[in-house]
Amino acid sequence: MARAYPGSSPPKTGYEPGVHGQTWPATATAQASVLASDWVLFTIVGLAVVVLVWGLILFAVTRWRRRDGGGDEFPPQFRTNNPLEIAWTVAPLILVCALFAYTYRAEADVENLAPHPDVTIHVQGYMWGWRFGYAGGTTLEGSALAPPEMVIPLGETTRIELTSSDVNHAFWVPDFLFKRDAIPGRATAFDLRPSKLGTFAGRCAEFCGLNHALMSFSVRVVPPEDYARWRGRNAR
Amino acid sequence: MSAAERGALEPVQRNDLLGWLTTTDHKRIGILYLTTSLGYFLVAGALAIVIRTQLARPDNTVVGAHAFAQLFTLHGTAMIFLFVAPFALGLANFLIPLQIGAPDMAFPRLNATSYWLFLFGGLVIFAGAASSEGAAATGWTAYAPLSVLKEGTGLGQDLWIVGVFLVSVATILTSINFVTTVFIYRAPGMTMWRIPVFTWEMVATSLLIFMAFPALAADLLLLFVDRNLGGHAFDPNAGGSALLWQHLFWFFGHPEVYVMILPYFGVISEIIPVFSRKPIFGYSGLVLSAFAIAGLSMGVWAHHMFTTGAVNNPFFSFVSFLIAVPTGVKFFNWIATMWRGSISFATPMLFSIGFLLNFLLGGVTGVMVASPPIDFQAQDSYFVVAHMHYVLGGGSLFAIFAALFFWWPKMFGVKLGEGLGKLCFWLLFVGFNVTFFPMHFMGLDGMPRRVFTYANLGQLPLLNLIATAGSYVMLAGVIAFAANVIVSTRKREPVGPDPWGANSLEWWTSSPPPEHNFHSLPPIRSERPVFDAKHPDVAARTPR
Repeated sequence: MARAYPGSSPPKTGYEPGVHGQTWPATATAQASVLASDWVLFTIVGLAVVVLVWGLILFAVTRWRRRDGGGDEFPPQFRTNNPLEIAWTVAPLILVCALFAYTYRAEADVENLAPHPDVTIHVQGYMWGWRFGYAGGTTLEGSALAPPEMVIPLGETTRIELTSSDVNHAFWVPDFLFKRDAIPGRATAFDLRPSKLGTFAGRCAEFCGLNHALMSFSVRVVPPEDYARWRGRNAR
Repeated sequence: MSAAERGALEPVQRNDLLGWLTTTDHKRIGILYLTTSLGYFLVAGALAIVIRTQLARPDNTVVGAHAFAQLFTLHGTAMIFLFVAPFALGLANFLIPLQIGAPDMAFPRLNATSYWLFLFGGLVIFAGAASSEGAAATGWTAYAPLSVLKEGTGLGQDLWIVGVFLVSVATILTSINFVTTVFIYRAPGMTMWRIPVFTWEMVATSLLIFMAFPALAADLLLLFVDRNLGGHAFDPNAGGSALLWQHLFWFFGHPEVYVMILPYFGVISEIIPVFSRKPIFGYSGLVLSAFAIAGLSMGVWAHHMFTTGAVNNPFFSFVSFLIAVPTGVKFFNWIATMWRGSISFATPMLFSIGFLLNFLLGGVTGVMVASPPIDFQAQDSYFVVAHMHYVLGGGSLFAIFAALFFWWPKMFGVKLGEGLGKLCFWLLFVGFNVTFFPMHFMGLDGMPRRVFTYANLGQLPLLNLIATAGSYVMLAGVIAFAANVIVSTRKREPVGPDPWGANSLEWWTSSPPPEHNFHSLPPIRSERPVFDAKHPDVAARTPR
């Protein structure tokens, strides 16, 4: 196993021009749209909570700040207020239950596996590269210096069956708002139904040793007819 | 009182080096803990500055991949195992006997043992840096099977295992000491419902420690056996499980998060009433919520494993959401304590308000990442780095500075300067937010954590540059604190027993307290006996 870079300077991490990535996520699959809705809901609720609580804190410290020579009088020395305390226990409880209900449905949608996926790809992470094995055909492989490119059809369901041959990795395409860990000795599966054409950057998200930062790949989403032609060209 | 007047009742401590090396006095052990953990903080902070310098621009070459992996491993390990958690243990060592009116801890020698195990555990972890293959380089989480591989992780990884094991044993021993002390050694009148909130939070913390840390110790032993004695616990090719490490690690690791925050909830609960000139609001709510958080935190470990596809995500998600409820109770209690108060902004109060503002953001993003659909993007990205630093940096670290400014006069008999103190606060507050706020967007944009370089695309270079600039501002804040320590020590303006007009028993005795803490005690009729004794008229009008 390689323990250091072959040369003295590490390889660069640039992607080809035109590859999405490292800007606002493109929400490029049907699943990603569901995931994005969860982000939006939690961000709005979270911001509302922040505004409310910051508002209360800043109001209190401004309104009741001690003026110079504030005197020896003590302010009112109250300690409890049962109705209020019950209210601020129960209200957040209701809020998190509602958030959980939404989360539960969103996750079930995203993790739901189609009975008959159109394309199945066995993905194997290794130190430090990826193997994309198309069921009944091509295997693409690439490592840090020449990252592999997965090709999948727009609007159809691609099943990814994920594992690792050595240590933990994670398959992450930020534009799909999704990642899944690749764990040795375990297989795990998820579906992707791309909704946008383009090439999307992917990378390993679980620290896996020296070249972890360079363990990238890309996913090219093409129209189904182009995909069929591509498969024809690449059939063994 | 002269030594002769104290007579035979009170032995005089040696004040030389030998006296400190052999001490079993809880105050000295506390101060040893605090200074040692602050020393580790300075080292871990320096490592963070190197990390941020490397990441200031894409494809930077300040350090290489292997050095970078050692940097983030030692930074995380030192901040968590050697600073944020042990600082709380040091503070509790100093404060618990004083707050409950006791002369010392229940097991003074065990207490000294804990300190020395902690000190040497840390040194063993760092000693790896001197080995030929360098220090541990698999992150503070040391995920197996990566951490099992002999190639690429050398002696440094073994020293890391041994060092963290020593620290975890020290922590378990200390937690037993705290609980025993609080249950057995309280002064007459100090009923359980009159214990100061800080001490209560330490009871909850101690219970968490001895439920959670044995899992870490077991995990570390298994890893050591796998690496050195031919074990296969984490080897899926020989019937082991690569997931086992994560389960045991996070069974410890998530309660550990609360071990690193509950004590600081206690610190805030002590400081806010003093500078609002009011009693703490919702005392029983604060105490019960600490135990609710502690209990729930034992059932959320697998929210660190949502992306494994191997755990029951909805269960762990729901229990994680529930933690927001008792945490919210605490927030509302602190705000209600300030409500209609008479609020002054001494440095401890400034840091406490900074704690509230920062920690709230960390809490909100905490609820976000507890939702699996969000975590699928946020996990192992800079979004989580931002969340976790808002909790531990914006939260715990600000409470640590609040505690230093608040209890410094009690420990050393001199106040830290207010001018430099406020400068320190503003530098840290601005620097912290400039450093860590942009990281939310880096994560959303697809930057994984623990990468030594990133692509020169999109907004990542700009966001990283801003974060790096912020980290230098934080460094200036820490330098302002160091300058404050030097200046105030030189000035030597002694303070009386109670420079802030505070509440709990430590403010009754001299600053610093005598060897056995108290020559006398006031009557204890509430959680603020010192205030009651000084303002009997106000105390008489205050509901209990």
